[in-house]
Amino acid sequence: MNGLVAYISRRIGITLLILLAVSFTVYLIFALLPYDPASLTCGKNCNDPGIIEANRKRLGYDKPFFEQYWVFLVGLFAGRTFGEGAATIYCAAPSFGYSFQQHACVTDLIFDAIPVTIALAVGSLILWLVVGVGLGIIAAKYRGKIWDTLSTAFVLIGTSLPTFLTGLILIVFLVIKVDWSPFPAGGYTAPDEDIGGWFLSMVLPWVTLAFAYSAIYTRFVRSQILEISTEDFIRTARAKGLSDGVILGKHTLRAAMAPIVTMAGLDFAGLLGGAILTEAVFNLPGMGRLSLNAVVDIDLPVIVGTTILAAAIVVIMNMILDIVYAFIDPRVRV
Amino acid sequence: MLKGKKSLKVALATVTATVLAGGLLTGCAPANAGGTITYLTNAESWTHADPQRNYTGMHIAWFGSYLQRTLTAYDRAEGAAGSAVVPDLATDTGRSSNGNKTWEFTLRDGVTFEDGSPITCEDIKYGVSRTFATDIITDGPTYAIGMLDIPSAEDGSSTYKGPYSTDAANDTASFDKAITCSEDSKTITFNLKRAVGDFNYTVTYLSFSPVPKAKDDGDQYDMHPVSTGPYKIKSYKVNDSMVLVRNDKWNGSSDPLRANRAFPDKVVVKFGQAEEVRDQIILADKDKTAVSLDAILPTNLSAVFDDEGNVLEKYKGRALNVYDPYVRYAAVNVKKLNCLPVRQAIYYAKNFDSLITLAGGQAFNGDAADGVIKPLMGLDYAKTGYATDDKDWKPEGNIEKAKALMEQAKTECPALYARATDPKQGIFYDIPDTETNKKASAIWIESMEAIGVTMKFNYIEPGKYYSVVLDATKQGDLSSGGWAPDWANASTVIPELFTAEGGFPMSQNWEDPAYAEFKKRSDANLTEPDRKKQGAEWAALNKYAMDQMWVIPGVFSKTQEMWGSKIGGAYFWEPQGALSFGDLNIIK
Repeated sequence: MNGLVAYISRRIGITLLILLAVSFTVYLIFALLPYDPASLTCGKNCNDPGIIEANRKRLGYDKPFFEQYWVFLVGLFAGRTFGEGAATIYCAAPSFGYSFQQHACVTDLIFDAIPVTIALAVGSLILWLVVGVGLGIIAAKYRGKIWDTLSTAFVLIGTSLPTFLTGLILIVFLVIKVDWSPFPAGGYTAPDEDIGGWFLSMVLPWVTLAFAYSAIYTRFVRSQILEISTEDFIRTARAKGLSDGVILGKHTLRAAMAPIVTMAGLDFAGLLGGAILTEAVFNLPGMGRLSLNAVVDIDLPVIVGTTILAAAIVVIMNMILDIVYAFIDPRVRV
Repeated sequence: MLKGKKSLKVALATVTATVLAGGLLTGCAPANAGGTITYLTNAESWTHADPQRNYTGMHIAWFGSYLQRTLTAYDRAEGAAGSAVVPDLATDTGRSSNGNKTWEFTLRDGVTFEDGSPITCEDIKYGVSRTFATDIITDGPTYAIGMLDIPSAEDGSSTYKGPYSTDAANDTASFDKAITCSEDSKTITFNLKRAVGDFNYTVTYLSFSPVPKAKDDGDQYDMHPVSTGPYKIKSYKVNDSMVLVRNDKWNGSSDPLRANRAFPDKVVVKFGQAEEVRDQIILADKDKTAVSLDAILPTNLSAVFDDEGNVLEKYKGRALNVYDPYVRYAAVNVKKLNCLPVRQAIYYAKNFDSLITLAGGQAFNGDAADGVIKPLMGLDYAKTGYATDDKDWKPEGNIEKAKALMEQAKTECPALYARATDPKQGIFYDIPDTETNKKASAIWIESMEAIGVTMKFNYIEPGKYYSVVLDATKQGDLSSGGWAPDWANASTVIPELFTAEGGFPMSQNWEDPAYAEFKKRSDANLTEPDRKKQGAEWAALNKYAMDQMWVIPGVFSKTQEMWGSKIGGAYFWEPQGALSFGDLNIIK
């Protein structure tokens, strides 16, 4: 057990170091961009250098790079204050800064957006695992038969249709053209306001996103199962006279599980950074829209915040997967 | 010119009549009260919801209808009647004295904020003071800074820096002298540094609306402005929605402009609608009480309008194709193109036909402009005799006439002639770097080649366009431009575009021999008390600028709007160039 604790602490330590490096890199990249963050905050017709300088001072961009980065890091743990007098702005920890274009602390914007993205990611993850793994098993089991052909067709359509098109088709043909459609044409309902409305607003986005992913998973699971089926231990099991069902459930699937879990974990982590196209088509105010708009509007504090967060999610998810592996497979603890 | 307005009137006459009869004659709750109006927009949020930061007509129309009251406002009526200024928070449309340098307004009894506290002179004064904090309250109009009698610092900025400044040198004393309140805080007096005959139009801007000091938190006020109108904000979330509900502290008897016209119980704005989804919802009438806040996608225009731009039978009464407030043109840098025949040659040679076809056709993009004042401006517009009224002007370009003018230029201004016709030099045209503009430049180059002029294009990244061309050291010979009046008076057009003090001085015409006379008349007209005379003079000055060809006229541009079948009360509110948001209601 000591080995496990040591392994986990080591992984957490490394993860923290990576996170620090990520935040520094992101901050550095944005400091090097050819945009002046101070002149991006003074409106569209800002030609007055005095105003730009006042903004620079208020936002702390007048300080040297390392000091700015240090203030940013401290803000993550202690919060930050911008401006003075009646116009003072305080962003509580963990503070990623203040967006003058959205008139809000970046952390608040992220906290508003992330539940939407989590709901979208979790729902579609469940859907695509059920459909993708299920179809993959069926396709492998009936290899070369009609079911296999049908699932290949599903894979082809799913992987070639972009999500914004799938989403648009669903909205037009299941919502707009159908009078009795229970689904809204996009938009998000908070679950604490109306849980039924929330569910209905999420169904089509889940289906849209899961459609693309389950196609990939069908293909992946099918090939995994077929590959493992040719391994010696499966042949041994079959020679022992075990039924097909037992072999599939107890031996083949278990062996195929590890790579599927890895892939699902990383895909899930990627989605938490935002599913830009799906969120845009269905008008869901999630992380994807937040980052996309920040990029379009050159809203630097939001770009820094969402980029660091998205990177952090992937790094942390990697750590979790590594730790899960340690439980599954004792060899990695060494 | 009247084509657009006529079709609009035919389409809307019936609904408007119902609304007015139903709403105003009963005298109590309006007939079509109740329900929820849903606005759909591709935008992720309002550009600004802070009254001091709202600038465009559409935003002023929306916020002014539902949430913010000002001392005076435009009447809510169709056609030219809408451009009349009526009292709003004030008891009348203002009293001027001291040769229009002092303006006084008295507040009505019973006007309140959404928490029930009375609106005082101090609240309006505080609201105006926020305009001066140009580093925080960005993007709003700055008329208060330009007009109030407050000294300027050496760099030309105001010595008063707004209410947030903690600098001891902040000139609050001058601001306190420029706006004074009576002892009962009911009367507000504005002391101006120059005569402004139409200051009661200026105060229709939401930047002159009251803000309670205790609720102001600078930049963040943009997310929760306090209401003075018939509705208040229940929730506002960027990327998501804004929900308005009735303001129970609003008292219709203190608000004749909006009384009996606060129709829906709830107003919802859905932000971030995918453009195609937004249009499909309205085209298929999925949400019958939805209104699009954006123009219809060009690809969907043919589903709604015929080739002439008239609304198809299926969509009668729920779509508009009208003139927006803009005039689009090529601004001329007169310092560089300092020769009238050359400027005229460019005007005659221009291939209007090809350019307008490229931009979506006349039915949707607009008509050939004969100046910088739009016919929508009513009093201030008169035909200048250019474009379609000019017998020498041809839609496809009059090469013969242009060539003759270039011959004239050869002797009158040989230096410019030599530069314009030298393929190694040529004349430079600034234009935003877009796909359509690249195609437009090819059309221009071809027209100019036909008269022996070399035209070169300076493609500028669209986001930086105006910051480049408004810099005199970077501006080319011609620059693509567009301008809409700030209120229904060409005092916000003619001096803004053609005088050195103007807010959009791309013409660089102050060394032109014709400038002195023009400037004298323009300055005098700013303080002309008789609105009719003033309008006629703006129209004359518009013609004057055209005679000098200080701009190459482009189009009086158009916009297309759409709404659901259960929406009544829709018309184009001319002074704001937007839908009549406040009169929209749900047909029972």
